Amino acid sequence: MVDRIFAGVLLVVSLAYAVIAFTAIKAPFQYDPLGPESWPRILSIVAIACLLVILWKPDTERFGVARQTWFRLAATVVMLLAYAELYEPLGFILSTILFGTALSAMLGAGMLRSLIFGVAAGVAGFLLCVTLLDLNLPEGELVEWLLDPAPPSEGTS
Amino acid sequence: MDTVLSGLATGFGVAFDPFNLMLVLVGCFAGTLIGALPGLGPINGVAILLPIAYGLGFKPESTLILLAGIYYGAEYGGRISSILLNVPGDAGAVMTTLDGNPMARAGEAGRALSLSAIASFIGGTFAVILLSLFAPLLAGFAVTFSPADYVALMVFAFASLASLVGKSTVKTLLGATIGLMLATIGIDANTGVPRYTFGIPDFLAGIDFLIVVVGLFGMAELLTLVEHQVSGRLKSLPVDRSFVRMADMVLCRWTIFRASVIGFFIGILPGTGASVASAVAYGTEKRISDSGRTFGTGDPRGLAAPEAANNAAAGGAMVPMLTLGIPGSGTTAILLGALLMFNIQPGPMLFTQKPEVAWGLVASMYIGNVALLVINLPLVGLFARMLTIPQHYLTPLIAILAFIGIYTIVGNPHDLFLITLLGIFGWFLRKLDFSLAPVILGFVLGSLFENNLRRALSISGGDWGILIQDYKSVTLYVLAVLVVAAPIWLARRARRMEGDSTPERG
Repeated sequence: MVDRIFAGVLLVVSLAYAVIAFTAIKAPFQYDPLGPESWPRILSIVAIACLLVILWKPDTERFGVARQTWFRLAATVVMLLAYAELYEPLGFILSTILFGTALSAMLGAGMLRSLIFGVAAGVAGFLLCVTLLDLNLPEGELVEWLLDPAPPSEGTS
Repeated sequence: MDTVLSGLATGFGVAFDPFNLMLVLVGCFAGTLIGALPGLGPINGVAILLPIAYGLGFKPESTLILLAGIYYGAEYGGRISSILLNVPGDAGAVMTTLDGNPMARAGEAGRALSLSAIASFIGGTFAVILLSLFAPLLAGFAVTFSPADYVALMVFAFASLASLVGKSTVKTLLGATIGLMLATIGIDANTGVPRYTFGIPDFLAGIDFLIVVVGLFGMAELLTLVEHQVSGRLKSLPVDRSFVRMADMVLCRWTIFRASVIGFFIGILPGTGASVASAVAYGTEKRISDSGRTFGTGDPRGLAAPEAANNAAAGGAMVPMLTLGIPGSGTTAILLGALLMFNIQPGPMLFTQKPEVAWGLVASMYIGNVALLVINLPLVGLFARMLTIPQHYLTPLIAILAFIGIYTIVGNPHDLFLITLLGIFGWFLRKLDFSLAPVILGFVLGSLFENNLRRALSISGGDWGILIQDYKSVTLYVLAVLVVAAPIWLARRARRMEGDSTPERG
């Protein structure tokens, strides 16, 4: 069943891909016999054929994921998205402390230990990556203000 | 022979540069640590560390040496969690658990670990020696390949991929097609026509390889870890003081040799990596030497065979990657992508145009093998302690590393969302028994496949007959049909002979 749903969704995407390949992509004049449109056309036909086979003969019946696990996965995804959202505004250190603490606490570490882990990951990660490896990480406005005399890392966006 | 020797001299010159030597050691050490982490296989380890390694801004050969060290080390480290925890890090390590874990449970963990380290070393070294002999020859032959031959080669690569990898042929084929389709996003290099960009400027240059790799592998792995979350520590068997004996080596010498040969040649086949190699080696060994029915209960030969094969396959997979530009496994596909990021097109010309990269990598594999053996024998207790890192710290750490890597390279917070979404997609694919290696192979090979097809048809002026004009391409098409038909035929024959000893394909 899940196979069919997934294949169905992919089929819609592939059909859209095919429609674009067959109608929209055109080179202003012919450079080579195939042009930019033939390859996507071939691919879309192969993909649709594969998807039809899967729709016809699905082999995965169910996911076997408990409802609790779905919640945990959804919470993880939400945290990841929040982490991505806050990455630049809060800077690496603060957002990593929040994310590390929240995720490890949800996954079963004690509150205090999660906090220690989060702070360690944020601070040590920043020091390691920015000062030692010279990588480019967002400092965040707050941290920039705190570390005012510190030399700015090159190319900070 | 001369080219091999002078090439190796160049290579060792590069690899013995103190900085590169340090990178080999660091890579091997970090790789073993990652491989030893339960559930985190080599491919995910390389995927997560790739952007960070790239971001360090080393020279191409240095970065590649570092990545290859990580890849190698991770293949090595994978056996530790297989033996002590009975949890394989990836499909390639599944066979190691069959006899390795019973040995450890019988109180011979030290013996199992040291034996597998030596088997891995022999398998790996064997593969590197064959690689340095074969690769220049194959590269010399591959120079004569026309675009039409390349198209045939791709067809063969995807056919062997579909037939040997994953549970379902159709799903593997679809996975590869998804990868190829993802690769068409962006401006078409020949005509300048944008395809599937929907006017979004970020898509004009195509989807960044790193984003696809980190998303599909790293982030999907993270979601899988969350799904299988076990609270607390896993129970690891203790590493005792027992050590491999001379008698074991005598018992296993032909096993290791056979497994190395099998592993290397299966590794060469495009798309089939360590998992197929170790399964076939174990199955073969069981058929040849399991006279006392001791396999599966802690027979040292059952441990040595998959370990030797697995590391030999890791070396074998480098052959098509370096000589043809077609990766032999998912992990080498990532290494190939790393080369492409440096604007180095792997292929027949690599050995002559960029000898420092090709030979430096080969030489670093020699050194890496020795280094891994030296690191692994005394330090195995340290690596074993990695097993007890609680998952609730490991999981956030993966996300943090992935975010650091992507942000450092691309510097665009939108890509952090993109890797999360690709991670969800990858997790669904994994849940539905798609393997992810074909997707990444398709993605990496997409433009090469398309460009060669178009070039071939430009040469012939649109006549598709050019694809089957040459004996080389015809041979490859025949091989492609064989590689698809042979397993089906063998399975049918095995069923007719009601043989119950057919090894399960991983």
